[in-house]
Amino acid sequence: MSNGLFIILCSGEHEKIQMAAMMASVAAVSERPVEVFVSMNALLAFANGLESAERYHGAEFSELLRAKDAPDAISLLQRGKEFGDLKIWACSMALDVQGWEMSHLEKDLFDGPAGLTKFLSDAEQGQLITL
Amino acid sequence: MSERITIDARGAFCPGPLMELIAALKTRQIGDEIEILSSDKGSVTDIPEWCKKVKHDCLSVDEKEGYWSVLVRKAK
Amino acid sequence: MVDQVLDAQGLVCPMPVLEAKKALAKMAAGATLKIIATDPAAKGDFEVFCRNTGHELLEASQDGSIYSFRIRRAP
Repeated sequence: MSNGLFIILCSGEHEKIQMAAMMASVAAVSERPVEVFVSMNALLAFANGLESAERYHGAEFSELLRAKDAPDAISLLQRGKEFGDLKIWACSMALDVQGWEMSHLEKDLFDGPAGLTKFLSDAEQGQLITL
Repeated sequence: MSERITIDARGAFCPGPLMELIAALKTRQIGDEIEILSSDKGSVTDIPEWCKKVKHDCLSVDEKEGYWSVLVRKAK
Repeated sequence: MVDQVLDAQGLVCPMPVLEAKKALAKMAAGATLKIIATDPAAKGDFEVFCRNTGHELLEASQDGSIYSFRIRRAP
């Protein structure tokens, strides 16, 4: 994957999650392969069945995004998966320390648990961004 | 016999218009045209750029009163 | 035939790979290390680890939530 986009998303901030979703979905629909590694506080935002207010925590922009009904991060990611090559991985460490199984996460989004060894190695061929 | 449809994505925020265009293209035949109306400036440059990248035809970009009309033809 | 067993059960990613690296460093070329882990990322991680380091991944299997690997230490 020599033009692959690799995103490590670890912030729980709404604005960063939104940006990661925007980058991932736009790149994926532009026929660029994308992989997202979700860890730390970001993983918490992807728990199954949360209300938008519980899921997304942020500052000024978070309020604006919600007030103006901007495209939801999770639906952007789902679109990216539907129309492009987008893989989303749940950090195995983060799952373990939370005591979560994959079933605890939002459905139809994650391709499985993964570790950094493989993600970083694959990312050597492409472009790595951390949020 | 190619068809044209119009999608009104005015008021939708980036990347909404692009995503609506892509969803619509999936349901169209090669040669069909989609006119997408957008009030979002970013989409007005993003959509032609996307067309160039994935090789659909961006036929025109017209500025109207407070919005733009972008015409795309499904090429593959 | 296994020369050493590393019990990495309960170790959270990326510890299994890091502990395996430590163990392999102390072994003779050609010796075999067996690793038992509960970390679901271990399979992908060990495949890549072996590819990048030249150690040979002889076996990777899973029994329920227990993952087992056998690695031959490179010369």
